[in-house]
Amino acid sequence: MHVVEYLLDLSGIGRNRMQLRWVSSAEGQLFADYVTQFSDLTRELGPFDLDQFKLPLAAVEQTLTSPRIRWLMGMSRQLTERENVYHEKLNEEEYTRLLHQAIEEEYEKALVLEAIKESPQLVREISGRIGLPKPRVSFWLSHLKNSGQAEIKGYDETTPKFVALAA
Amino acid sequence: MSEPFEPKILAFLCNWCAYAGADLAGVSRLQYPPAIRVIRVMCSGRVDPLYIVNGLKSGFDSVFVSG
Repeated sequence: MHVVEYLLDLSGIGRNRMQLRWVSSAEGQLFADYVTQFSDLTRELGPFDLDQFKLPLAAVEQTLTSPRIRWLMGMSRQLTERENVYHEKLNEEEYTRLLHQAIEEEYEKALVLEAIKESPQLVREISGRIGLPKPRVSFWLSHLKNSGQAEIKGYDETTPKFVALAA
Repeated sequence: MSEPFEPKILAFLCNWCAYAGADLAGVSRLQYPPAIRVIRVMCSGRVDPLYIVNGLKSGFDSVFVSG
Protein backbone atom coordinates (compact mmCIF):
# COMPACT_ATOMS: atom_id res chain seq x y z
CA MET A 1 0.00 0.00 0.00
CA HIS A 2 2.82 2.30 0.92
CA VAL A 3 4.46 1.56 -2.44
CA VAL A 4 1.28 2.36 -4.37
CA GLU A 5 0.76 5.60 -2.46
CA TYR A 6 4.33 6.65 -3.12
CA LEU A 7 4.00 5.84 -6.83
CA LEU A 8 0.67 7.63 -7.21
CA ASP A 9 2.23 10.75 -5.71
CA LEU A 10 5.33 10.41 -7.86
CA SER A 11 3.27 10.12 -11.03
CA GLY A 12 1.13 13.14 -10.20
CA ILE A 13 -2.05 11.08 -9.94
CA GLY A 14 -2.12 11.65 -6.20
CA ARG A 15 -2.50 9.22 -3.34
CA ASN A 16 -6.03 10.37 -2.65
CA ARG A 17 -7.32 8.25 -5.50
CA MET A 18 -6.76 5.18 -3.37
CA GLN A 19 -7.74 4.43 0.19
CA LEU A 20 -7.33 1.54 2.57
CA ARG A 21 -9.65 1.30 5.58
CA TRP A 22 -10.24 -1.36 8.20
CA VAL A 23 -13.85 -2.25 8.83
CA SER A 24 -15.03 -5.27 10.82
CA SER A 25 -18.20 -7.17 10.05
CA ALA A 26 -20.01 -5.55 12.99
CA GLU A 27 -19.31 -2.00 11.87
CA GLY A 28 -21.96 -1.21 9.28
CA GLN A 29 -22.12 2.41 10.37
CA LEU A 30 -18.36 2.82 10.08
CA PHE A 31 -18.45 1.37 6.58
CA ALA A 32 -21.21 3.77 5.53
CA ASP A 33 -19.21 6.67 6.99
CA TYR A 34 -16.03 5.71 5.13
CA VAL A 35 -17.87 5.33 1.83
CA THR A 36 -19.54 8.72 2.31
CA GLN A 37 -16.21 10.35 3.16
CA PHE A 38 -14.40 8.78 0.28
CA SER A 39 -17.01 9.54 -2.33
CA ASP A 40 -17.08 13.16 -1.16
CA LEU A 41 -13.31 13.27 -1.51
CA THR A 42 -13.46 11.75 -4.99
CA ARG A 43 -16.16 14.20 -5.99
CA GLU A 44 -13.86 17.01 -4.89
CA LEU A 45 -10.96 15.58 -6.89
CA GLY A 46 -13.15 15.38 -9.97
CA PRO A 47 -13.22 12.71 -12.64
CA PHE A 48 -10.04 10.81 -13.30
CA ASP A 49 -8.69 11.90 -16.69
CA LEU A 50 -7.43 8.73 -18.34
CA ASP A 51 -5.95 10.46 -21.39
CA GLN A 52 -3.98 12.93 -19.35
CA PHE A 53 -2.51 10.21 -17.14
CA LYS A 54 -2.05 7.56 -19.80
CA LEU A 55 1.75 7.60 -19.73
CA PRO A 56 2.22 7.91 -15.96
CA LEU A 57 -0.36 5.19 -15.31
CA ALA A 58 1.30 2.80 -17.75
CA ALA A 59 4.64 3.58 -16.11
CA VAL A 60 3.20 2.95 -12.63
CA GLU A 61 1.90 -0.39 -13.82
CA GLN A 62 5.26 -1.29 -15.30
CA THR A 63 7.06 -0.26 -12.12
CA LEU A 64 4.78 -2.45 -10.03
CA THR A 65 5.45 -5.42 -12.29
CA SER A 66 9.21 -4.95 -12.32
CA PRO A 67 11.07 -7.84 -10.66
CA ARG A 68 13.19 -5.41 -8.67
CA ILE A 69 10.23 -3.79 -6.90
CA ARG A 70 8.38 -7.10 -6.51
CA TRP A 71 11.42 -8.63 -4.91
CA LEU A 72 12.02 -5.69 -2.58
CA MET A 73 8.39 -5.69 -1.47
CA GLY A 74 8.36 -9.43 -0.89
CA MET A 75 11.59 -9.36 1.06
CA SER A 76 10.73 -6.47 3.37
CA ARG A 77 10.46 -8.62 6.50
CA GLN A 78 13.41 -10.80 5.64
CA LEU A 79 15.57 -7.69 5.19
CA THR A 80 14.39 -5.69 8.18
CA GLU A 81 13.63 -8.34 10.78
CA ARG A 82 16.09 -11.05 9.87
CA GLU A 83 19.17 -10.58 7.68
CA ASN A 84 20.37 -10.98 4.10
CA VAL A 85 22.84 -13.61 2.93
CA TYR A 86 25.75 -11.44 4.06
CA HIS A 87 24.30 -11.33 7.58
CA GLU A 88 23.45 -7.64 7.20
CA LYS A 89 20.28 -6.31 8.67
CA LEU A 90 18.55 -3.13 7.55
CA ASN A 91 16.52 -0.94 9.84
CA GLU A 92 13.13 0.39 8.73
CA GLU A 93 14.52 3.72 7.57
CA GLU A 94 17.29 2.25 5.48
CA TYR A 95 14.86 -0.16 3.89
CA THR A 96 12.36 2.59 3.10
CA ARG A 97 15.10 4.75 1.62
CA LEU A 98 16.25 1.84 -0.52
CA LEU A 99 12.69 1.10 -1.61
CA HIS A 100 11.97 4.72 -2.51
CA GLN A 101 15.17 4.95 -4.51
CA ALA A 102 14.34 1.77 -6.38
CA ILE A 103 10.80 2.96 -7.06
CA GLU A 104 11.98 6.32 -8.39
CA GLU A 105 14.52 4.70 -10.68
CA GLU A 106 12.17 2.05 -12.01
CA TYR A 107 9.44 4.64 -12.51
CA GLU A 108 11.69 7.00 -14.49
CA LYS A 109 12.89 4.13 -16.62
CA ALA A 110 9.34 2.91 -17.26
CA LEU A 111 8.23 6.43 -18.14
CA VAL A 112 10.99 6.82 -20.73
CA LEU A 113 10.18 3.40 -22.17
CA GLU A 114 6.48 4.24 -22.39
CA ALA A 115 7.23 7.54 -24.14
CA ILE A 116 9.10 5.86 -26.99
CA LYS A 117 6.73 2.92 -27.43
CA GLU A 118 4.67 4.34 -30.27
CA SER A 119 7.16 6.16 -32.46
CA PRO A 120 10.87 7.05 -32.57
CA GLN A 121 11.60 10.17 -30.55
CA LEU A 122 14.41 12.60 -29.90
CA VAL A 123 15.75 13.03 -26.40
CA ARG A 124 14.43 16.58 -26.35
CA GLU A 125 10.92 15.42 -27.36
CA ILE A 126 10.86 12.74 -24.69
CA SER A 127 12.11 15.15 -22.07
CA GLY A 128 9.39 17.64 -22.99
CA ARG A 129 6.67 15.02 -22.85
CA ILE A 130 7.48 13.43 -19.52
CA GLY A 131 9.09 16.38 -17.80
CA LEU A 132 12.34 14.67 -16.94
CA PRO A 133 15.66 16.54 -17.45
CA LYS A 134 17.46 15.64 -20.69
CA PRO A 135 20.55 14.11 -19.01
CA ARG A 136 18.26 11.76 -17.08
CA VAL A 137 16.43 10.77 -20.25
CA SER A 138 19.74 10.10 -22.00
CA PHE A 139 20.91 8.04 -19.07
CA TRP A 140 17.83 5.82 -19.17
CA LEU A 141 17.91 5.57 -22.96
CA SER A 142 21.45 4.25 -22.91
CA HIS A 143 20.47 1.87 -20.14
CA LEU A 144 17.44 0.67 -22.13
CA LYS A 145 19.55 0.34 -25.26
CA ASN A 146 22.20 -1.71 -23.49
CA SER A 147 19.59 -4.01 -22.00
CA GLY A 148 18.00 -4.55 -25.40
CA GLN A 149 14.73 -2.77 -24.67
CA ALA A 150 15.27 0.16 -27.02
CA GLU A 151 17.25 1.00 -30.15
CA ILE A 152 18.24 3.94 -32.33
CA LYS A 153 15.94 4.26 -35.30
CA GLY A 154 16.62 7.06 -37.71
CA TYR A 155 18.23 10.45 -37.24
CA ASP A 156 17.04 14.01 -37.25
CA GLU A 157 20.09 15.45 -39.00
CA THR A 158 22.73 14.14 -36.60
CA THR A 159 20.58 13.62 -33.52
CA PRO A 160 19.48 10.03 -32.96
CA LYS A 161 15.84 9.02 -32.46
CA PHE A 162 15.01 6.25 -30.07
CA VAL A 163 12.27 3.65 -30.19
CA ALA A 164 11.25 0.86 -27.85
CA LEU A 165 11.73 -2.74 -28.92
CA ALA A 166 8.88 -5.14 -28.40
CA ALA A 167 9.56 -7.29 -25.36
CA MET B 1 -25.76 21.42 -19.46
CA SER B 2 -23.27 19.16 -17.73
CA GLU B 3 -24.72 16.85 -15.12
CA PRO B 4 -23.23 17.00 -11.63
CA PHE B 5 -20.23 14.71 -11.44
CA GLU B 6 -21.07 11.39 -9.82
CA PRO B 7 -17.85 9.56 -8.92
CA LYS B 8 -17.33 5.92 -9.77
CA ILE B 9 -15.40 4.12 -7.07
CA LEU B 10 -14.08 0.60 -7.27
CA ALA B 11 -14.23 -1.14 -3.89
CA PHE B 12 -12.36 -4.28 -2.91
CA LEU B 13 -14.01 -5.72 0.18
CA CYS B 14 -12.84 -8.60 2.33
CA ASN B 15 -15.45 -11.34 2.44
CA TRP B 16 -15.21 -11.69 6.22
CA CYS B 17 -14.90 -8.09 7.37
CA ALA B 18 -15.89 -5.17 5.20
CA TYR B 19 -18.22 -7.14 2.93
CA ALA B 20 -20.18 -8.28 5.97
CA GLY B 21 -19.98 -4.72 7.25
CA ALA B 22 -21.42 -3.44 3.99
CA ASP B 23 -24.11 -6.09 4.24
CA LEU B 24 -24.95 -4.96 7.74
CA ALA B 25 -25.09 -1.36 6.58
CA GLY B 26 -27.59 -2.47 3.98
CA VAL B 27 -29.65 -4.58 6.37
CA SER B 28 -29.83 -1.77 8.93
CA ARG B 29 -30.81 0.62 6.13
CA LEU B 30 -27.94 3.03 6.66
CA GLN B 31 -27.67 5.59 3.91
CA TYR B 32 -24.47 5.80 1.93
CA PRO B 33 -23.69 7.13 -1.55
CA PRO B 34 -24.31 4.82 -4.51
CA ALA B 35 -20.85 5.57 -5.90
CA ILE B 36 -19.16 2.27 -5.12
CA ARG B 37 -18.94 -0.86 -7.25
CA VAL B 38 -17.97 -3.78 -5.07
CA ILE B 39 -15.63 -6.65 -5.81
CA ARG B 40 -15.64 -9.25 -3.07
CA VAL B 41 -12.29 -10.85 -2.30
CA MET B 42 -11.62 -13.61 0.20
CA CYS B 43 -9.09 -11.43 2.00
CA SER B 44 -7.95 -7.86 1.47
CA GLY B 45 -4.42 -9.28 1.37
CA ARG B 46 -5.48 -10.76 -1.94
CA VAL B 47 -5.52 -7.30 -3.50
CA ASP B 48 -2.38 -6.81 -5.52
CA PRO B 49 -1.08 -3.25 -6.11
CA LEU B 50 -1.64 -3.92 -9.81
CA TYR B 51 -5.40 -4.29 -9.27
CA ILE B 52 -5.52 -0.68 -8.12
CA VAL B 53 -3.75 0.53 -11.25
CA ASN B 54 -6.00 -1.63 -13.38
CA GLY B 55 -9.05 -0.18 -11.66
CA LEU B 56 -7.95 3.34 -12.53
CA LYS B 57 -7.13 2.21 -16.05
CA SER B 58 -10.61 0.80 -16.56
CA GLY B 59 -12.17 4.18 -15.95
CA PHE B 60 -12.87 4.30 -12.22
CA ASP B 61 -12.22 7.61 -10.51
CA SER B 62 -10.73 6.08 -7.39
CA VAL B 63 -10.16 2.79 -5.62
CA PHE B 64 -11.22 1.82 -2.10
CA VAL B 65 -9.75 -1.19 -0.32
CA SER B 66 -11.30 -2.37 2.90
CA GLY B 67 -10.91 -5.39 5.11
